[in-house]
Amino acid sequence: MPDAEVLDIPDMDPDAWADYVEQQGWTDGLPLVPPTEAAVARMVEGARGDNEPVPPITPRLMTPTIRSLAANAVMAGCRPEYFPVVLAALRGVLVADYNLHGTLATTHSCAPMVMINGPLRKTLNVNCGSNCFGQGWRANAAIGRALQLILNNVGGAKPAVMDRLTFGSPAKYTFCFGENEEESPFAPYHVRQGFAADESVATVISSEPNHNLNDHGSTSGIDLLTTFAGGIASPAANNISAKGPFFIVFGPEHAATLARDNWTVEAIQQFLFDKARVPLSEVSAENRYRYETGGNFPENGAFKVAPTPEDIHVAVAGGPGKHSAWIPSFGGTAAISVRIKPPAAA
Amino acid sequence: MRIVNPTFGIEPASEGTATAAPVDWLNDPMILFSNNKPNAKELLEGVRQRLSAIRRIDNIDYIAKPSASQPAPAETLNDVVRKYRIALLALGD
Amino acid sequence: MRKRGLAGVVIATETFRPLVLAQARARKLEPHLIVVKHPVGGLNAAELEERIEAAFAGLKLEMGV
Repeated sequence: MPDAEVLDIPDMDPDAWADYVEQQGWTDGLPLVPPTEAAVARMVEGARGDNEPVPPITPRLMTPTIRSLAANAVMAGCRPEYFPVVLAALRGVLVADYNLHGTLATTHSCAPMVMINGPLRKTLNVNCGSNCFGQGWRANAAIGRALQLILNNVGGAKPAVMDRLTFGSPAKYTFCFGENEEESPFAPYHVRQGFAADESVATVISSEPNHNLNDHGSTSGIDLLTTFAGGIASPAANNISAKGPFFIVFGPEHAATLARDNWTVEAIQQFLFDKARVPLSEVSAENRYRYETGGNFPENGAFKVAPTPEDIHVAVAGGPGKHSAWIPSFGGTAAISVRIKPPAAA
Repeated sequence: MRIVNPTFGIEPASEGTATAAPVDWLNDPMILFSNNKPNAKELLEGVRQRLSAIRRIDNIDYIAKPSASQPAPAETLNDVVRKYRIALLALGD
Repeated sequence: MRKRGLAGVVIATETFRPLVLAQARARKLEPHLIVVKHPVGGLNAAELEERIEAAFAGLKLEMGV
């Protein structure tokens, strides 16, 4: 691994460059944009005035420079104005409660989910609506990808060597979306976390990709929540063994039904906490022993899937359709929200 | 072309290579530390049983992280450092 | 723990050997690692015996006995 901050390498065509980055172990498998000094300087300019140091990144425990972080953002295809979001997401995964080391050393299929709130979603054209977890939007694709490349390249979390996931996950390429605040009947997620509505915030959690929650039939809030509680009460999800938080992301149509029936976020959390339980009949004796030695004891013949109602994080995203999403977490992680610092005026 | 190295980082200040003070492997207090993965405890218990043939075991204790997926609490580590001279950690998986 | 004076020995499966060694390198620790076959989890008592024997053999080497 080269140890200089700037590398003088031969000029090369795109095919040779693709081979070069593959040999260096820098790529996620897809082509990368060359991080020329000029391109990196433009990226750094996108975070002008952000002088807060970034801590060492596990497992290599190297302290990055703003240029090495920007190089990864360039390679991922970021515009300079995306870079403050990448930095906020990175700072989030480096908060101790996120448990970055655990999420990389585990064999579970977790990846950093990034949800963006606030006005920057619109400025950057972050997709918050139809297909928000999918392809087609540069901001969603590049911001999540940049974060993952930083963990790979600066952090040294090389897949199958230092990043030990049994399967990995498509979310390891990128998993970034915006909350659909405009179609949500609830206060935006970041406002419920104590930020101002006009602030932009990146929230991260170590999670699986979205699992679909389909309910085309129910016409009331309570029936929708009953369906969802059944959908997320899984004896095979990490949340039962590691007791951590998770997200439920309502599609706007389901959210509208819930709001029409006067369901608040707090009431939804309490309902899902009470009803999404895994009965002992679905848990092997060995697993019961394991969960109990980890401090997760059954109540009334069933295991909880979250420690408290507040560990069930509620957001609204996506477009038309009778679908919502469950985003199970690694378990031993936390949802961390970090304010995105707008670049200082020149 | 000149590119910025995407792996570049500054190494932590060197404190030298850490080495433990010499220990008496046959008599010093020992902690068997499990990462709480399935069978880690059983593995350590099996080792403890075999150790009885070659050293005293009345001062060998067992502890597990509360969660396999999270680091051990600082107070647990402080307690271990205070009470024991040897730690055998099992990273079962 | 080694930085705080304990003689620490890690038992890990071969699958996790690179991760443990890299962590030791990053922390400038001389690794004391006993490697056993993967996996440990999911084995029954009879299968686990082989891992226990391997771990004990490795520990005896560390102990110099």
